[in-house]
Amino acid sequence: MVDFELHDPTIVAENVQVRYTVSTNDPSHRAKGLRRLSNAIVGRRGQTTVRALRGVNFVAREGEMVGIVGANGSGKSTFLRNLAGVEQPDRGRILVRYQPLLLGVSAALQPALSGSENVRLGCLAMGLSPAEATEAFDYVVELSALGAAIHRPMGTYSSGMGARLRFAIALAARPKILLIDEALSTGDATFAERSERAMDELLAEAGTVLLVNHAAKVIQELCTRAVWMHKGEILMNGPAEAVAEKYRWWAWNVAKGNEQIADKLLHDVVSNAVREEIDVLEPELIKNPIPRHAARRRKKLIRNSRHVKRRTSSTRIGEASSSAVQTDKPQVWPENLDIEVPKATFPALPKPASQTSNGPRSHNELPPLRLRPKDSKVVLRAENPEDRASTVAASDDLTGRRLSSRAREMAEDRYQLRQMRRSDEEAGVERKRYDSVPEVSGDTL
Amino acid sequence: MSETKNPLGLSSIPSVSSEGLVPVGRRTSLRSYLGALWNRRHFIVAESRAKMSSSTRKNLLGYGWLFLNPLLSVLAYWFIFGYILQTQRGIDNFLGFLVVGVFFFSFTSKCMTGGTGAIRSGASMIKGFQFPRAALPISTVVRNFLDFMPTLLVMVIVLVVVPPLEVITWRIALVVPVIILQTLFNVGLACFLARLGHKFPDLTNLMSIISRFWFYGSGVFFSIEDRLGNHPMLLEAMQYNPMHAYLTIARNSLLYGLDSDPKMWVVGAVWAFGLLIVGFLFFWRGEENYGRL
Repeated sequence: MVDFELHDPTIVAENVQVRYTVSTNDPSHRAKGLRRLSNAIVGRRGQTTVRALRGVNFVAREGEMVGIVGANGSGKSTFLRNLAGVEQPDRGRILVRYQPLLLGVSAALQPALSGSENVRLGCLAMGLSPAEATEAFDYVVELSALGAAIHRPMGTYSSGMGARLRFAIALAARPKILLIDEALSTGDATFAERSERAMDELLAEAGTVLLVNHAAKVIQELCTRAVWMHKGEILMNGPAEAVAEKYRWWAWNVAKGNEQIADKLLHDVVSNAVREEIDVLEPELIKNPIPRHAARRRKKLIRNSRHVKRRTSSTRIGEASSSAVQTDKPQVWPENLDIEVPKATFPALPKPASQTSNGPRSHNELPPLRLRPKDSKVVLRAENPEDRASTVAASDDLTGRRLSSRAREMAEDRYQLRQMRRSDEEAGVERKRYDSVPEVSGDTL
Repeated sequence: MSETKNPLGLSSIPSVSSEGLVPVGRRTSLRSYLGALWNRRHFIVAESRAKMSSSTRKNLLGYGWLFLNPLLSVLAYWFIFGYILQTQRGIDNFLGFLVVGVFFFSFTSKCMTGGTGAIRSGASMIKGFQFPRAALPISTVVRNFLDFMPTLLVMVIVLVVVPPLEVITWRIALVVPVIILQTLFNVGLACFLARLGHKFPDLTNLMSIISRFWFYGSGVFFSIEDRLGNHPMLLEAMQYNPMHAYLTIARNSLLYGLDSDPKMWVVGAVWAFGLLIVGFLFFWRGEENYGRL
């Protein structure tokens, strides 16, 4: 398997926190005194704050397909909405390489219009130009495989047919990052096959897919990595098989009412769980770590402060992680902690010429990490949000052709691998079925 | 994923460089925002037309209602204001006066109520995918504009067919700049109210009242100069009402073949461009908040 650590990250979510203030009629949340009177006048009972995400750290890389599992209300959809940028987190920040596409075309489609009219409308909604939309039309029709039904009003479609059309339209926009929120579960077997191949192609073109699905089996089959979310936090993050298996076992126990086993399992996972920390290194820091006093730019900051104001949240995080780095504890962990580690003093190593600055520098402390995002410094490669970054190599030039053939190869490989695994499994299932069938029939007889 | 674990059980994702990564869903600079909006123009038009045709397809008469609706409302207004209340004293060609007032005003009032609820009614789209949110209030204006066109046709037919004949001069062409100014004004108004309406949803209740107040205050079915003769202060204030300016210019050029007071043109143009800029900037400043409802 490919080591994804080596690939470039496409999504970095750092300490994402989201809370909603919602009204509730829970008697214990009832307000008191004057507040209660005013609440009674406007006709609401009380308000409570729901923490939908409590500090999620997450990194996805090129070519990865990450599954997200978790109980209902664990914050999966909220997380995806925040990744897509349709909602801003209260704290933390999300960085992406390309504009992620949420599989949410359905909002733009009109049930009274025919499927073909909706294809055009949906393509335009995804940001395609009319010419591109006409070009993409055949692709959508072929992928959705609706046949003559494409000319009927979309309101007459079954839910599976609607889902197929929506998925096909989303893929026609050729997104680099696709976020799927339980959309594929309604398609039938033939479509599942076709959609998987389409996603493989997307992955092979250095894309990333995030898939929320309740069927742990789907996650195991499709994904390279899985994440288990529980109450707004990431509990587990690892290979799809392991995570999905754990989750399935937990869900099964909850469903059966084995609360104790489920709780114990959850406890085990939580105690083994690790709060992952991310160090997001700003390009500025990597290139020239200048000391703070040398990099002070008061006047400029004040002038820009109107735009920077919103980012106070991310500043806080920056400080938190920088303090972690700044501690005078050693950063290299010894095998066992029994040995008294001498307090580290940082030797004054000769600096490479490129890094030396003329100003005085105290060697007792690290140069503070300046993780504050700066408007001027963050490299806005996709400054235009419309940029789907698919135009790097045109399809007809040499690089484009080579890339696409390579992409096809990779997609083919993944497909073969999955087919092999599936046929193995099916053989196993068949065997099991043969074993169990006589028993059942005997029972019923 | 290979995870490095330290004795405290902290696994760490190795440091990630943020090079080439951009914060998602942030408000972009005004220039790229306008560029993105311009790229969306096809979607805005396609969406407005789709909404319009899907709302008409349900009816048996289909597109017929686009013409029937204004025709019937002319009849109703004429019956009440012209026949029963007899408000036409001192106004030449009262039917034309009324028709122009009602149709031009309802274009703006529909944009006003539509703009206030634009974010809320487009909530599913906002949650569905990323696009410059200003497309929502603008598409309500476009939709109302498309509705306004057949209404305009009906109006012209009514004016030509029904007896007191109009004075037809070259000034009829002045209707075009009036409609353009009014549309720009409506865009600004819809954008401005869209952000306000998102912040204070209660405004939708208030809007119908404000719109009615404005309706009576703009002289839709009576002449302001006539009625407010003994309130000079109020009359002076009414001169700066943009709707009054648009209605007066439209009537002068369509019905009476008169030149309008240049002051009216100035008032209309200043309101149109001023509110367009203010309203759009106001809406753009709130871009990141619209996902939360």
